[in-house]
Amino acid sequence: MSPEQLLALRDQAGVPSHPAIFLVLGVLTFALHIAAVQVMLGAAGLTLWGAFRQGPLWQRLSALMLSTAKVAVSVAIVLGVAPLLFVQVTYDPFWYTSNVLSARWVIAFVGILIAGYLAIYLYYWRNQRPGGRGSGRHPWLMVLSVILLLKVGFIVHVLSYQMHFPEQWMAWYAPGGVIDPGGRGLHAFHLPRFLFFILLAVPVLGVWLLALRRYLQARPGEDPAFLAFLNTLAARLTVPGGILALAMGAWWMATLPSKMATSALSPWTLLAALALVATVFLPWALGKRLDEGLWGYAPFALGAVALILVGVARELIRYRTLLGGHGYDPLSYRIQMDWYSTLTFFLTFGVLGAATLGYMITVAWRAGQTPGVYTPTVGVARLGRWATMLIGLWILHYFILGFCTWGGL
Amino acid sequence: MESLGLYPTWLVPGLGSGWIVGLIATIHVLFSHTSVGAAVFFAWLASYANRTGQPRYLEFIRRYGLFLLVFSYVLGSITGAGIWFSTTVASPRGISTLIHNFVWMWATEWVFFLIEVTGVYLLTYLATRVDRATHLRLTLIFGLAAYTTMLVIVGILSFMLAPGKEAWFTSGGYRLGFFGANTFAHLAMRTAFMFTMMALVGGIIVARFEDRALREALGRKLAWVGLAGTVAGGLLFLAYLRTLPEAATVVMANRLPPSFGPLMLAAVLGMVAYFTAWLLRPRFLHPVGAWAATVGILVLGLWPEETARESIRKPFIAGQYVYSNQVVARDVPALGVRAELPLLEARGFLATHAFAPASLRQIHEGNRLEAGRFLAITTCSNCHTLERTGMRPLVNYLGGVRDVRALAGHLQATVGTGHVLYMPRVPLNDAEAEALATYLATLPAGGPR
Repeated sequence: MSPEQLLALRDQAGVPSHPAIFLVLGVLTFALHIAAVQVMLGAAGLTLWGAFRQGPLWQRLSALMLSTAKVAVSVAIVLGVAPLLFVQVTYDPFWYTSNVLSARWVIAFVGILIAGYLAIYLYYWRNQRPGGRGSGRHPWLMVLSVILLLKVGFIVHVLSYQMHFPEQWMAWYAPGGVIDPGGRGLHAFHLPRFLFFILLAVPVLGVWLLALRRYLQARPGEDPAFLAFLNTLAARLTVPGGILALAMGAWWMATLPSKMATSALSPWTLLAALALVATVFLPWALGKRLDEGLWGYAPFALGAVALILVGVARELIRYRTLLGGHGYDPLSYRIQMDWYSTLTFFLTFGVLGAATLGYMITVAWRAGQTPGVYTPTVGVARLGRWATMLIGLWILHYFILGFCTWGGL
Repeated sequence: MESLGLYPTWLVPGLGSGWIVGLIATIHVLFSHTSVGAAVFFAWLASYANRTGQPRYLEFIRRYGLFLLVFSYVLGSITGAGIWFSTTVASPRGISTLIHNFVWMWATEWVFFLIEVTGVYLLTYLATRVDRATHLRLTLIFGLAAYTTMLVIVGILSFMLAPGKEAWFTSGGYRLGFFGANTFAHLAMRTAFMFTMMALVGGIIVARFEDRALREALGRKLAWVGLAGTVAGGLLFLAYLRTLPEAATVVMANRLPPSFGPLMLAAVLGMVAYFTAWLLRPRFLHPVGAWAATVGILVLGLWPEETARESIRKPFIAGQYVYSNQVVARDVPALGVRAELPLLEARGFLATHAFAPASLRQIHEGNRLEAGRFLAITTCSNCHTLERTGMRPLVNYLGGVRDVRALAGHLQATVGTGHVLYMPRVPLNDAEAEALATYLATLPAGGPR
């Protein structure tokens, strides 16, 4: 596929803002999405592990992790919509081609994800509902769920990876010059890259458990034995898991195909690795301070920064490969500026979204730490009123703008 | 070499890629409309329960919310992403057109979706953990945010049929593409029918309430809302038809299957009868019956509606400038978009298609059949299967003719000129027409058109 052909595949309509904005948002939302995926995988794995362990501490943790996994799948899906949207804006030639060439798997993704998600719910209904036994019944459901979720992850990995090889697309679409339009193949993958993102679930879950521990500490009457158990388990997951993930990351970089190899030691790759190392050892460095103020959440926060840097490094590999090897620069996408919709998004996200999600998360956070019924403070309640009013105003603006446009004003 | 940015084509033998999109979209519409309808109904019910001092109604919100977590927020959100995935592989340029025109509106919808999903979790998990005023506030936010997702998506769906204002072609901008008479008629119709779906699915929940008085009281409310939604939706559907572009009206009158009208009427009358029976005899409400009615609306109402919506756009897939076979059919000066038909006329598909194998770029005796197959897959298979089953089988449109010369002449005189209702213009030079005809002549005989 020549650079001219790749450029011809771009949408003629151009992009409604500077392409760099979509690249940045793509990286940020990918980091959020992959964090939710890793919490989901880690929590599902720990639920499964807990199903075979005895004792009240494991039973409680298993139930907590099951609830976490259930919600994390949902969060991963919702957050995954955003990077899926942004990749289509500037990398449309690559994303669309890669998808069509594996179309059956793209459709299978939907069914497999539904089956994997429902398996978690079935396990929950068998174990955690009132009258359920706690945990441990039908663990095969969790095994099935983890396998299916990994399969879904692998499909997305392949779709992303195939984007890097325009020189092979014709061979995949028309082997021997005869087109094969069934989309049956998963044509290219890179196991170390896939495993790196999967193994990252272990340290991410470790720092997640530390954050959970700090959150539970604020609850009156919380069981100290459970808190100590969480601390020990988090330490066991974070350091060895982090080292394992970093080793896999090194293997990924060492085995990059030749056209990508220049990215292996780029400053961003090294910075991402450094941030991961810092995340893994931060709990150890903080020591007893983990029990003070917001320090207990610091490892997870640093982990989030590390994931953003991993996202940057991943994006730079793609950017450099497609620019250096194929002459495609997403930043050269023609801008067809649309100020109105650009501002609509940023104001909705930055003002309305921040206020409303801020209110909802505050209520959820504090209700979880309050025994009995939670009544918000005056300030929180005011934020809720503002949030409601902002959504109401948004709807009003939609109709006023819409009717004026319809009427030709 | 001047190249056209046409993507590879995904072929689903015997079924058609369009039907895969249709199946996923139909299921998603049920899940999403139910959740938006329920969110708005929750906001009203919570407020009503507060005003009248009847907190027992809040249990309905909690149970329906729990049901929605799986029904709408597992299956619904996955099939929502599934529509993107399926349109990506079935019609990459169709989805690209929508993305590149409305990426920020889609991102805006995503913000509201985040709020909506957070809301449903809070309403189900914190139902008894927060005070009444906070619960009411969360219900209100959930309802408003859910409805806003519909406001955004309806604008995009309406653009798929046609830009809101004709001026969009020359002036551009999100507003002119988004808003028009069809947008608001479409929105009103979907708003009404979302209450129908909410009430139908709500029947599954309320039928399981043990407290008979509460079950009947809630059942009556749902039945009234469902009845009002159905009647209003039926009338608004007629209003919606009046806002269709002229070409869509002609297609609707001439090309939809004869079963479309009777099916839609049966769906509306069936729902009216169901809700009326529910009102007159509350004991009529049963979980099995409620499930059956939900499946009924899916098969009799949503499937014909979604397939009709796809059909009346023909020959376009988006914005009345991208054909269903992915070719850009007209200029959009505001965006700098240039029609690709002139280049195709001058050079042909095989010479310009980015994914045409090198061995097919020049047609000769040895590759004519394979070149014809490539052309059939590229220019026809988005809307027609190449077998005897599935979506508008191509063989049904050949009138039993198998003579290559006759077929080639027929192709050039019909789709080649673009004067066939509902069909895109497919400029085929002599060699390409002969190649396509050679391939079509090998297809198995079809049934009557």
